[in-house]
Parts: sequence; structure tokens; C-alpha cells
Amino acid sequence: MSALSTFTLILEGLLAGAGITIAVTLASLLLSVSLGFLLALVRQFAKSPMLHALIDAYCEVMRNIPALTHLFILYFGLASLGLRLSSITAAILGLGLIGGAVTCDLFRAGFAALPKGQREAALAVGLTPLQAISDILTPQAMRIALPSLGNYAVQLLKDTSIVSAIAAPEIMFYARSMVTSSFQTTLIYTTVAVLYLAISLPLMQAIRMLEARYGRVKT
Amino acid sequence: MTSFIEPYAEHAGEWLPLLLEAMGNTALLSISGFALSLAFGLLLAACRNSRWRALQRAVALYVVAVRGVPLLAILFLLYFGLPGIGVTLDAFTAAVLGLALAFAAQVAELFRAGLMAVPAGQREAALSVGFTPYQSFTLIVLPQVVRISLAPLIVTFVSLLKDSSLASLITVDELVLTGRAMATEYFLPLQIYVAVGLCYFLIAWPFSLLSKRLAPRASR
Repeated sequence: MSALSTFTLILEGLLAGAGITIAVTLASLLLSVSLGFLLALVRQFAKSPMLHALIDAYCEVMRNIPALTHLFILYFGLASLGLRLSSITAAILGLGLIGGAVTCDLFRAGFAALPKGQREAALAVGLTPLQAISDILTPQAMRIALPSLGNYAVQLLKDTSIVSAIAAPEIMFYARSMVTSSFQTTLIYTTVAVLYLAISLPLMQAIRMLEARYGRVKT
Repeated sequence: MTSFIEPYAEHAGEWLPLLLEAMGNTALLSISGFALSLAFGLLLAACRNSRWRALQRAVALYVVAVRGVPLLAILFLLYFGLPGIGVTLDAFTAAVLGLALAFAAQVAELFRAGLMAVPAGQREAALSVGFTPYQSFTLIVLPQVVRISLAPLIVTFVSLLKDSSLASLITVDELVLTGRAMATEYFLPLQIYVAVGLCYFLIAWPFSLLSKRLAPRASR
């Protein structure tokens, strides 16, 4: 078999997992961003010290423990309690819960970067505190957080490769099972790298365009 | 709740030495990987600032490639892929090399940002009072770069420490792999993986706190 046709064969095999890679990335991104935004809002605007401490503790626990360990706890650990998650559910939940802590910080940095006068001015012209947050502060904070959220999305795409360790059938999972049935190890993992690049480079480009369109307006 | 805690009391004597040894391996792996990525990163930053266009472009290409490929793919390529072209690395070496290759790109960006944050006047002033270019770099510019980059470098180290867990998938005997072996032996995956998580937390958290403490000072 020629090298090219072997490459095509490998690529076809890997593409079987590309859909799951993209689906897990999108689903966990959605979970991360919604959770992170909610946590950031509460942490930034709620007055309860108890809530602040809880959210801070959550973020520290999520961010100082490897994703792989979180995934093993969710997938193997919970199963021993009789709570059996599918590998894809565990993957999305694990990456999403960690991502919530990561994006919480990104959104908070966005809110913290806004001058105090923004909120004061909004209240002074008669908006309610809630309106000030939703109509004045959030859109600006989003713009500031956009570049770091973009970087996070690329990171998340790459991090989905580790969910192969809990047998979620994404790109890396197919690569690993292909390796056991053939001896083209070098070619298979090179193709894996190329395939991830083929997804991540357009993603980076799209993020750059998004930033150019909606990013922080230079003052 | 008691049934969750009970196994810890029962097996503490057997688990503690295993976990402590694995923590040592994880620490060794992360520190080696970080040291090498500092060296690579410095080299990349220097190449990026060189006068040769080709070198600049090669570094930029490398940074983009590394940013787009998962660490796990790099590790598998080094450990399982290289033997196919006649280069065989042992698992630990492959893991250190993979971590260093992946994180060098980040380190290089941090150094570059640090270098750009030091005003040009600093170097000019040093030269005008009679410092040699080498002295003005090592005595005036570099200390300021280190101070600016310190907090983000510590954040990078914590990321690297966490990512060192992927080395378990190429059979490096660190925390996660030890945890997996223990989980099969004792059949208590929840308790064991929580303990493994705690071990990582104990190493990583002090560094996270340190980076937060340093951050406002560095921006002054």
C-alpha cells in the first residue's frame, strides 16, 4: 500500500472521532461559559460573604487539580457509588465544571476592568441596579473577556483529547485503538496532530475575526 | 458519609507511602519539565528577537503549531511514534521533553511580553552611564523582566504540574498512574481518585496563592 493511501485510510478512521471531539468541545464550552458567567455575576455583585467564600473554594478546587483526575472521579469514582455516567456525559460534565471556574475568573477580570463610574452613571440616569448590570456592565465586560475566552476555547478543544482516557470515542480514542491493530504508530500520531491543527487553526482564525468585530473598542 | 471516610482510616498505612512516593515523582517530572521549558522558552524568545527573518518566522510557526496540537498528541508522538523512525525514549524522558516542548511556547511569549514591558529608556540610560550592552541587559533589563514575568510564570508552572498527569497515559509512574494501580488493587476508585486530587491540590495551591500575591506587585 502506498504511503498516501495509508494516510487517507488513517485520516478516515480518525474522522470518525472528529464529530465527537467537536460536540464535546461545544457542549463543554456552553456549560463552562454559562456556569462561569453565573458564578462571576454572583461573586461580583452579590453581597453575601458566604457565597463569595463558596465560589472561591469551588474555583480553587477546580483549578488546582488536573482535569484527568476530575474525569476519573466522575467516571470511575461515581460509578462505585452506583451513579454510572456515560463516558461522553462524564467528559462534558468534567470539562464544563472545570471550565466554569476558569471562565468565572475571565468574566470577573472583565467586570473588574470597568471603571466604577460606569455603574454610578447608569444608576444616576435612573436604571435599576439589575438593568445597570445587564445593559451597561455585562456587554462591556464581555468585550474585555472575549480574547481570553477565545484562548480558552482553543485550550478546551485540545483538552478534549484526554477524555479518550475514559473511553469517550473522540479523535484520540480512535487513534489509540488504531495503533493496537496496526503498526503505523508514527504515521497515525502525526496524522492526529495534523487533524487537530486542521480544526484548531480555523478556530483561532474565527476567534481573531470575532475579536476584530466585537472586541474591545480602543479609546 | 462515614462509608466514604472509613476506607481512608483503614488503608492509611498502605496508601500514604504509595501516594507520597508518587507525589515525589510528579514533582520531579514537573520541575524537570518546567526547567527545560524555561531554557527552551528563553531560546525561542531570543530567536524571535533575532535579526534573521527566517528564524523569527520559524519560531512563530512553532508557537502556532504547539498552540494547535494537544499535549497528549505530542506525548504519544514522542513516546509511541518516535520508535517508528528509530528513536526510542524512555517514558520519563519523553514526558519531560513533551511538557517542555509544549510549554516553551508559552514561556517564550511571557518572556517576550516581559521584555517589551521594560521601557527602552532603561537600556539607553544604562548604556549612557557607561554599562556595556551585556551589563545593561543582565543588570538592568533582565531583573525587571524577571519581576514582571514571575507571577505568570508561576501560573504556567501550575498548568504544567496539572498537565504532567497526562504522562500517566504513556506509563510514567506518577500520581495518576499510581492511583489507577491502587484503584484496581483496592477497588475503591472514588476514595483513591479523591486522594490523588488532594495530592495535586497540596502541591499546586501554594503556588496559585503565591502567584496571586505576586501579581499586583509585579504590575506596579
